[in-house]
Amino acid sequence: MDAFLNIISGLRWQDTLDILFNSYVLFRLYVLFRGTNVIRVLLVICLLWVIQKIALGMGLIITSWAMQGIITVAALVIIIVFRNEISGVLQTKNLKSFLWGIPRYQLQTPVSIIVDGAYELTRKKLGALIVLPMKQGLKSSVQGGIPWQGTLSREMLVSIFWHDNPVHDGAAIIQGDRITDVSVLLPLSKRQDLPSYFGTRHRAAMGLVEQTDAMVLVVSEETGRISLFMENRVYDINDSHVLTELLDDQLSDKSTPRGIRHQTVELAVAAMICLFSVTGLWLSFSRGVETLATREVPIEFMNLEQKMEIIRSSSNTVKLVISGASPLIQAIGQDQVKVKLDISKAIPGPNAMGIQRENILLPPGIQLKQFEPSEVEVTVDATVLKQLTVQPTWTGHLKQGLTIVSAKAIPETVMVKGGSMDLAEITTLFTEPISLDHITQSGRISTGFALAKSNLKLQNHGKNSVTIHYEIKQRSTP
Amino acid sequence: MLAKIRCCINMACMKSHPIKHFVLLPICMAVLLTAHAGAQEETLTLAYGTMCESIENFHPVFPAVVFPLSKEEIICFTTFDPVPERTHIFHNWYKRDRLVSRAKLTLQPPKWSSFSSMQLRNADKGPWRVDITDINDNILQTLRFSISD
Repeated sequence: MDAFLNIISGLRWQDTLDILFNSYVLFRLYVLFRGTNVIRVLLVICLLWVIQKIALGMGLIITSWAMQGIITVAALVIIIVFRNEISGVLQTKNLKSFLWGIPRYQLQTPVSIIVDGAYELTRKKLGALIVLPMKQGLKSSVQGGIPWQGTLSREMLVSIFWHDNPVHDGAAIIQGDRITDVSVLLPLSKRQDLPSYFGTRHRAAMGLVEQTDAMVLVVSEETGRISLFMENRVYDINDSHVLTELLDDQLSDKSTPRGIRHQTVELAVAAMICLFSVTGLWLSFSRGVETLATREVPIEFMNLEQKMEIIRSSSNTVKLVISGASPLIQAIGQDQVKVKLDISKAIPGPNAMGIQRENILLPPGIQLKQFEPSEVEVTVDATVLKQLTVQPTWTGHLKQGLTIVSAKAIPETVMVKGGSMDLAEITTLFTEPISLDHITQSGRISTGFALAKSNLKLQNHGKNSVTIHYEIKQRSTP
Repeated sequence: MLAKIRCCINMACMKSHPIKHFVLLPICMAVLLTAHAGAQEETLTLAYGTMCESIENFHPVFPAVVFPLSKEEIICFTTFDPVPERTHIFHNWYKRDRLVSRAKLTLQPPKWSSFSSMQLRNADKGPWRVDITDINDNILQTLRFSISD
């Protein structure tokens, strides 16, 4: 239980999004390929994958190897063998069907129209082959066909199977209240025990029923007899009520509230399986192999009192040894690992600050193994203003026989802002070097200030110059 | 880096001594009778202070604010008038705000001149100052100068 809670608490929002997105993708694939043989083969592949993992875990080398090979081949087999079903799903679906649409099976199939149509065909001695798909897809079992997409009606059925109609030879597929395809070729049954009066239509109907769960209604052109093929059985229909009952038994269940509820439950279960599968996959990735990593993380000094500033720190970074699943470790961004140190209680001067585990923020799923240093010395200082006297810095050679007897700076003093400790020892603001090489007589010269430390700031209304008025005299014998 | 200090008590002593060491020489020109009256109300006053190259006849020679390194020695000369009572003052020599030397000088009533000096070396180029302080470390005057090439 603790482990479960630990995993839940360690979930990042990215993990949740990751799981939900992939679960939805998996669910959509199920919805799109539901009823086709592809989904069954995929389920078998998943089962093989689980067996392969178990075999690997148990050390069954050959079994594991064989399963791996089968899975690889099966993936190719799916694409080759079921290319018709895959392309059918991909071509016929629109964007809505792809992303969020959930097709319902045979809702509101008008059984009475089918029955009336069948008896009308019988009366007119027209042969007919009508396919009513159930859950299973037909794409991998049938061939050819012309898309029709016509609304089902008795007249439409008669029209399709009329002798002179170019599409009368073949089967018509009815889904819901629409005739979706006509002139479809069905697989012929190879059974030898079929009655002798079965023609090609009957054999084709049986062939499809053998491979799928569809119902096929056959109207014999010669005898006018109606036969219903379903679940590998043949029902000779002598009464329209019987046909109605049989069709209702199979079709009406899908259109009743009970049928809809059944489909909803099925989809909900599928969605839950998708969610659990992806969650399991995520756990196997994220909680699989533990990885150790080292990160050098800069320290964030927090809550420093106003008018105080950090002069220096014994260390600006903390070396963290962290552990976690390799994908999580690799996914850690720069801003996800932080070391925050509260220095609100720091006083001017050096302060020893201990670093605790609470100061280190890690993303969920990452554990802290160790860190160093466990203490940093942070020197802080209060920001103060101080008036400094300006003093010129003379360099070079003054011409022989001359001497500077006085020098006055304008302004004489300047306000400087900086740390109290820095400014404590400073009373003078020196100018930039002023060359004596070309000075021959009294005058004035402008120059800039040379701040002793970079963190000192002049408060001189933006002016960074000073004028030095100097007086030169000839050296005379004393 | 800098010179050493030595004290002398009169000018003859200073002249006869080679200028290789830091020299402290009180120059006394006491006028005892005139200074005696009202001495209790008077306070120690720095009458004159300057940086110079040498001292002759109790006066500073070549006062300036820039001294070439070739001079080898510079002097901080101060005159106090009046000096109400025997006391001490200090000449605090700073190079770029860093205290380099602190000379304690004795003053005698009624007025007194004293000086301290610094022997220069190549590393001493740059801006300097001398803070003249009383016995309570009150700054009486700051003399600023530079040592150039």
